[in-house]
Amino acid sequence: MSSQQITAYVTAMFEIAVANDVLATVEDEMFRLARAYETNEALRGSLGDTSLPIERRQKIVEQLLGGKAHNVTVQLASMLVGTGHVSLLPQVADALVKRASSEKQLEVAEVRTAVALSDAQKTRLVDALAKATGKRVNLKVVVDPSVIGGVVATVGDDVIDDSVRTRLDQVKARL
Amino acid sequence: MNFYSIIAAEDPSLSHHWLFPEIGEIIYGGLASLIIFGALYKFGWPAAKKGLEARTAKIQKELDDAAAALKQATSDAANIRTALGDVASERARILAEADAQAAAVLAEGRARIAAEVADMEARATAEIEAARARSGDELRAEIARLSAAATTDAVRAALDERTQQELIDGFIAKVGAGR
Repeated sequence: MSSQQITAYVTAMFEIAVANDVLATVEDEMFRLARAYETNEALRGSLGDTSLPIERRQKIVEQLLGGKAHNVTVQLASMLVGTGHVSLLPQVADALVKRASSEKQLEVAEVRTAVALSDAQKTRLVDALAKATGKRVNLKVVVDPSVIGGVVATVGDDVIDDSVRTRLDQVKARL
Repeated sequence: MNFYSIIAAEDPSLSHHWLFPEIGEIIYGGLASLIIFGALYKFGWPAAKKGLEARTAKIQKELDDAAAALKQATSDAANIRTALGDVASERARILAEADAQAAAVLAEGRARIAAEVADMEARATAEIEAARARSGDELRAEIARLSAAATTDAVRAALDERTQQELIDGFIAKVGAGR
């Protein structure tokens, strides 16, 4: 059932974003909002709290994204909250990114780093990943402090892990 | 005049012999004797014979009864002696069997106790070894955990912004070079 719901939401969001000619912006902002939703327990609790009125929860989304995200993104996220399916946000966002990438014949490359990447680094990373995988990639950067340092890149089924966390895990295993 | 007075009154001088009676007396006397013996034989002998036979039969019966009683007594005595012998041998058998059972129970008990003691010793030894190994493992794990935590803290402290960027740039360069 949730798979059908996800497909339905993704189709609707995709069409709306294309109609407004903001697909790239919307899918990127939805992706970042989904990662924030995954990592922020307080945000998850607030948006999923059914004891709060829907309007109140939608207001939280608007306050969170207002001025930082496109209006279409705010409205689509607000729609998920309003229909009571905010828990599907990560899957919907990932599916939207995947569909948008497919439209442009790109492979989604999710890159996790401990600190934010500069635009120059993103550009070089896109080129490097394309060279390494032989695919054109749609780069999605997630700032994840648990990486500690270095980079973990996932392109399709390929994972390139050169993170400090993994090295420390290897050291722990040896200990 | 009775018979004795007649005999006493007879004159021996009138007899033809001082010892032998008259021929007629002998004949009459003989005939009388034959009649008497014949009568006795015919009438007295069967009764006497019957009495004798009854007496003989009674005596024989008593002898047979005595013999039977003797035989029975002998048999009883033999049975009693046999029974006494059986009782003695049964007693000896029971006592021997009881001794054997007691010895077996004792031996089994000793073996069981020895096995239990050995088992307890083995378990105790194993538990001591396990506890020792556990302690060692726990100590090693704790040392590893502390070392890992210290290493992580040290690495985090060493990872300043410049180092972070160097790591990212190094990753990009390595991936771009074909890993």
